[in-house]
This record gives sequence, structure tokens and C-alpha cells, in this order.
Amino acid sequence: MDAVTIPPPDQLDSLDDDSFRLVVREFLRQNYPEELRNPPHRLHWNECKDWYHKLAEKGWLCPGWPKEYGGLGLSPSKQIILTEEYERYGVARTPDHGIVMLGPLVIRYGTEEQKKRFLPKILTGEHIWCQGYSEPNAGSDLAALRTEAVLDGDHYVVNGQKIWTTLATDANWIFLLVRTDKQAKKQEGISFLLVDMKTPGITVKPIINLELHDEFCEVFFDNVRVPKENLVGQLNKGWDMAKALLGFERIFLGSPRQSAYALSRLKILAERMGVWEDETFQDRYARLRLDLEDLKALYGTFVVKLKRGESLGPDVSMLKIIQTELFQRITDTMLEISGENAGLLEPMEGNRDLNIGGLFIQARPATIYGGSNEIQRNILSKNVLGLPG
Amino acid sequence: MSAALDESDRAESIRMIRDSAAAVVPPGGDMKRVRSLRFQDPGFEAGLFRQMGEMGWIGLRVPEAHGGSGLGLSEMCALAEELGAGLVPEPLIPCALSAGLLSALGGVGPLAQLLTGEKVVLTAWQEKADSLEVPGSPDAPRRFLPMAAGADIFLLPVREGGRIALYEQPAARAQVTVERTQDGGNFGTLQPKLGDAKKLADDVGEALAQGLDEAALVTSAYLLGVMERAFAMTLDYLKTRQQFGRVIGTFQALQHRAADLKMQIALTRASVEAAAATLDAGATGDARRAAVSRAKARASEASMLVTRQAIQLHGGIGYTDEYDVGLYLRKAMVLANQYGSAALHRRRFMAVSPEVEE
Ligand SMILES: Cc1cc2nc3c(=O)[nH]c(=O)nc-3n(C[C@H](O)[C@H](O)[C@H](O)COP(=O)(O)OP(=O)(O)OC[C@H]3O[C@@H](n4cnc5c(N)ncnc54)[C@H](O)[C@@H]3O)c2cc1C
Repeated sequence: MDAVTIPPPDQLDSLDDDSFRLVVREFLRQNYPEELRNPPHRLHWNECKDWYHKLAEKGWLCPGWPKEYGGLGLSPSKQIILTEEYERYGVARTPDHGIVMLGPLVIRYGTEEQKKRFLPKILTGEHIWCQGYSEPNAGSDLAALRTEAVLDGDHYVVNGQKIWTTLATDANWIFLLVRTDKQAKKQEGISFLLVDMKTPGITVKPIINLELHDEFCEVFFDNVRVPKENLVGQLNKGWDMAKALLGFERIFLGSPRQSAYALSRLKILAERMGVWEDETFQDRYARLRLDLEDLKALYGTFVVKLKRGESLGPDVSMLKIIQTELFQRITDTMLEISGENAGLLEPMEGNRDLNIGGLFIQARPATIYGGSNEIQRNILSKNVLGLPG
Repeated sequence: MSAALDESDRAESIRMIRDSAAAVVPPGGDMKRVRSLRFQDPGFEAGLFRQMGEMGWIGLRVPEAHGGSGLGLSEMCALAEELGAGLVPEPLIPCALSAGLLSALGGVGPLAQLLTGEKVVLTAWQEKADSLEVPGSPDAPRRFLPMAAGADIFLLPVREGGRIALYEQPAARAQVTVERTQDGGNFGTLQPKLGDAKKLADDVGEALAQGLDEAALVTSAYLLGVMERAFAMTLDYLKTRQQFGRVIGTFQALQHRAADLKMQIALTRASVEAAAATLDAGATGDARRAAVSRAKARASEASMLVTRQAIQLHGGIGYTDEYDVGLYLRKAMVLANQYGSAALHRRRFMAVSPEVEE
């Protein structure tokens, strides 16, 4: 086989798909740390920062961003290939709120000044972002949020509490939805604010999740002073922007990567358990595999729209539902075929590919975060199907 | 004796058992105790296990002549359901299996110390995952011994000629590796050492087959308790949590979900109670196997469904370790496949159950 050479980042998009796939494989072989393959839980910053910096240094960090902002500007099909190859190789998820959510938001709504100030720091890994939306009494009903920001001279003064903030202990910046007008209708008094986590008055308290891992947190704000130029978009228009951003989040959560990973592990497990050849298992596996293939096709149609610069409609909710429920069905199947091993706390036989219970538990919150699947179905029935209510 | 009870006596005896369970497990369980024991060795309280012995629970099914309580499976299932609701970690089900064996063999070996709860006696029958078969290979590691970190004695079924003999091996010098389980307990793997073992009986095959069926049924009842309690917590939450200015239990999508879960729980209860009654009426062989497999197939699947949905309906808080509903999911993950997965029991049901004739 010919040695594969890795072209500079700005030329990746012009490769044909097959060559691109080989380039990604070679890139991972050369750069991805062996010991980080298929980690049993989501990595903390100190565990994955070398890899993040490596991606940043090679210019590979933001595959979906346009080239003029330092992204790879990849076509939809190449983004899917990249995802597939990362999954196949067992590449860990890095803190990606800046890459997937904040970056695209700033590109779309930020001032030139904000683009210059924030985008390069995502690309270098200097700013690690977390998402401060949910509050104890504002989960599904996000617009009920009460953390408030009051203008005082050149600063907003922020008071309140966020919860379920993923990897807030690792982040040094947080993007917040805050209430800036208590009189207006609840969606119309919300603004979007960028906050340096080192500002005095911020306390972060980790919460142990069902994986027994300190992944999400409570974040408390006590008279936190935020320069007013950190407001993105117009005052009191934060809700509309956040909704647009949810489109990005939903397409990200609808990406086949989690299901593809889980399905590949299901196969390994089925072989290990001696049921792979079993006819009833083959039928179940085929069903899951076809669901995955069709999900990939559907996903592709949404990525094409994004690429054309169209904004995504409410029908993107379908992707999120289909992907997360497929992920869960795959991990349910893992439990069902593994006998007593389903109850083990650690991966079976110490093999990360056989992390049965771990993967099953990781699949649980996918139908809760990013707008629960019940909420997504409400959106589909009202905003896509036009049913009354 | 148990088979002779008439219906009202039986109902009374079940009620008494449930009441006595409440003396050890407060209604809704003692989650502080459960949490303090999990992921520690041995994973349960020896003192509480002895208390279970004093209450007559370990020998609930053992005839009075052998020092047991001489009660039926209906009582045992009622007890297990209460323990499941409280996620009680003490290894009552595997130890009751051992007690049943020692009693069936004529009251041999460490039966007395087991019935008082002084010794934890585990039967090391299993050689591979998701199986109810007992090959009895002398050298094969015995797997998935529940709470093995606290075992005092192992009972070893060993094939000799055409029969399965039973040996007793002390845990003290035994080679046991222990792995932690999602519910905070542990599974042990024992490397049998017949040189250290004492023979108790020549033929334990039928007693063991019956014991495993009973353990599968009692595990189904425990899972019934698990799902009932997880469901009750979820209903409470649906009635109190507010979003969009009203309690979330007013959303029809969630009402229907709750109704669906209730139906699965009702089917499980019907199946478990019917199986217990069938066995108490003296069913043996295929009739026993069919009844037990029906119950375990249902309980395994329904318990996973209910506990998974309990997390979903709680939203973010359901995914925290601090909130108790997650403990119920973890317990179901461990027990759903113990003494046979749903798939195993469905297969077995089809193999042993005659088609219904018109
Ligand atoms: C692992 C994880 C990571 C997270 N990370 C972040 C993060 O980084 N930043 C952040 O801001 N948030 C984060 N979240 C929070 C997440 O967005 C919320 O959990 C979610 O919006 C649900 O809100 P809730 O937890 O308050 O549940 P609730 O809104 O109280 O919902 C409880 C149940 O009621 C259902 N329900 C609610 N309303 C309706 C309705 N109208 N119709 C039908 N059913 C309904 C829900 O679907 C759910 O089943 C995370 C959550 C999890 C689990």
C-alpha cells in the first residue's frame, strides 16, 4: 500500500471522499494517543488536553467551521466520514461546546470584534466553554429561567444559579442565558452573555452522575460583574439566538457517531458471548444496522442544508430522537445478550470494548439533554405536523 | 404443609410475612444503609443477615423438621418483593437456594449455621453466563457468585458418572476473585479445589434444578418490588415537579407512559403470583419450568423498562447518583439476567410448555 501523506488543512476539502478517509486514518494513527482509545467515560480536560492541542496545532479542531475562521470547511459527506473514522478509532470526545455551539453562534451573530476576540481562542484551546442554560426550575421550560443580569455602568451584574452544566469544572468560559427584562413576556426578556469563569462571585460544585463520574455541575453566581461588551446579539433577543443554536446542538446530537460506536461494540460483544451467528441475534442486529444506515442518510440531508447556508427547521428534532433512541436500543441489546456480565461495574474482562453497563448508562441521558425527547416530539407534532395544541 | 393451606390461610400468612419484612426494612427502604454498604466489601451487613436468620427467612422454604419455617413460595415471593422495594443487599436468595439443597439432601452439612445466618453459604453451580445448566466440571471456575466477598462456605456440584454430587468447600483458603457490580455488590469467581472439599451427597441434580427454578422465581418477585418502588417514586415526581406552570403529570404523553408502565407491573405481579401458586400446588418438571420461565421473562423485561423510564421521567435529576431512583436501575441491571435472562426463559418456556389446545 502506498504511504498516505496528509495534506495541509485548507486542502482537505478538495480530496475525494475515499482519499479523505485514508488521510483521516493516517492522521489518527500518527497523532492520536493510544491510551486514550475508547475511554470508559467522558474525559476531563487534564486527560484530553494534549489531544485537543494537537488537533488545534494541526488545524483540525473545527471541521465544520468555514475556512476563513480557521475551520476545515469540510463538505457534509466528509464531516460524516471524519465522524465515522473517529468512532472507529475510538477517539475520545473533547470539550466541544466552543466548537459545536459557541463558535457557530459567534460566527453568525457576533460583532467583528467578538469574532476576533473569541474564535481564535477556541482554535488554540485557550478558551474552554461550557453551556449555562438550565436551572433547577427551568429545564424543559427553559424560558422560565431566572438568573438575572442587571446593567450597572459598563457591567452586567449577574445573580442566580445554573445546573447540569457539563464539564463546568474544566471550562474557563461559560455562555449564559440570563434574564434582562423581568416585565416582558418570558421569552422576550432573555439575553446571551459570555462570562469568564475566573470572575469573582462564581462557584462551581460538581454533581456525581449515574456513571459515578463528576461530569456535570451546579454553577452559582453572586454579584458577578461582566463587561457589557460580552453580550452577544441584541439585548433581550437571546432566546431567538439560543433557539437557532439549539438547531446546531440537535444536529450534533443527531449525528450517528454514538450509535455507530455502540453498534460496533455490540458486534464485538456478540462475538465474545457466542451469539453472533445466532439467527435471532442476526435479525436484531440487522434491524439496528439498517436503522443506523438510514439515520446516516437522513443526517446527511440535514448537513447538506447547513452547508448551503440554510438554517435548519424544527424537523431536525427527528434526528435527535432517532439517534438517541437507537443508541439506547443498541445498549439495551448489549445488556440483554450478556447474561450476568450486564451487572458488572467495570468493563467485562477489563476490555474497554466490552464496557456493557457503562455504555448502557451513558446512553440514558441522551434522551434527556439537548431538549428531552418528549419535548422534541412536542415540537414535531406542533411545529412540523401543525397539530393544534 | 404449604400446599395444604387454603386460600384465606395463605392470604393471612402472606400478610404476616409482609409485616415482618417491614420490621427489618422500613417502608420505602433504608437508602442510607444501602448507600453505606455499596462498593464496600462484603457489600452487606453480617448482623442483618443473622437477623434474617432469626426471623426464619433463610429457611423460609425449609421444612420445620429441618429447622426451617416450612412456608411456601407465595410467602417467599411476598418477602422478596418487600426486600426488592428496599433494595436490601443481603444475599437471601442465593443462601435460600443453598438451604433448600442441604435440606433436600436430608439436612446435611452446614444447614444449621446457614439457617441462623451465622454462615453465608453460596452454591457455586454456574460455569457460564446466562445459563441454568449445571455441568459440574470438577476444574471449571464457578462464576457470578453473588456477594462472594462475604461467603463462608461454598457448595460445589461436581459431576461424577451420570450424577451430580455435592461438595462443601470452606471459603477461607479458597481461590476467589471478586468483581464489583453496578448495584454496589459483587460477583465472585471460584476456582474449585476438591482437595479442600468434603463430600456431602452423591446426587443433588434434581434438588438443584428445583432450587434454581425457585431462585429464578424469587428473583422475579424481588424485581417486582424494585419496579413497584421505582414506579411509585416516579408517580410522586410526576405529581409534584412543575414545568410550564403546571405539574408535569398533566402532560398526556407522560400520563400514557405511566399507564403503560403500570400495565407491565400488573402483568408481572399476575405472572409471579400465578407461578408461586402453581409451585405451591406441587407442580414439578415442565409445568414448574414453564410457570417460572413466564414469570422471570416478564419480570426481567418489565423491571428494565420501568427503571429506565423512571430515569427518563425524572429528567436531569434522574441521572444523578444522589437521587435514589438510579439505585433501582442499577439493581435491575444486576438481577435482570441472574438465574436466566428474559431470552433464556422465553426459549425455555417454548421448549417445555405444551401449546394450548382448543
Ligand atoms: C447528562 C446531562 C448533561 C447536561 N448538560 C447540560 C449543559 O451542559 N448545560 C445546560 O444548560 N443543561 C444541561 N443539561 C440539562 C438538560 O438540558 C435538562 O436536563 C433538560 O432540559 C430537562 O430538564 P429537567 O432536567 O429540568 O427535566 P424536566 O423538564 O423537569 O422534565 C422531567 C420530565 O418531564 C418531561 N416533560 C417536561 N415537560 C414536558 C412536556 N411539556 N410534555 C411532555 N413531557 C414533558 C421531560 O421530558 C422529562 O421526562 C444536561 C442534562 C443531562 C442529563
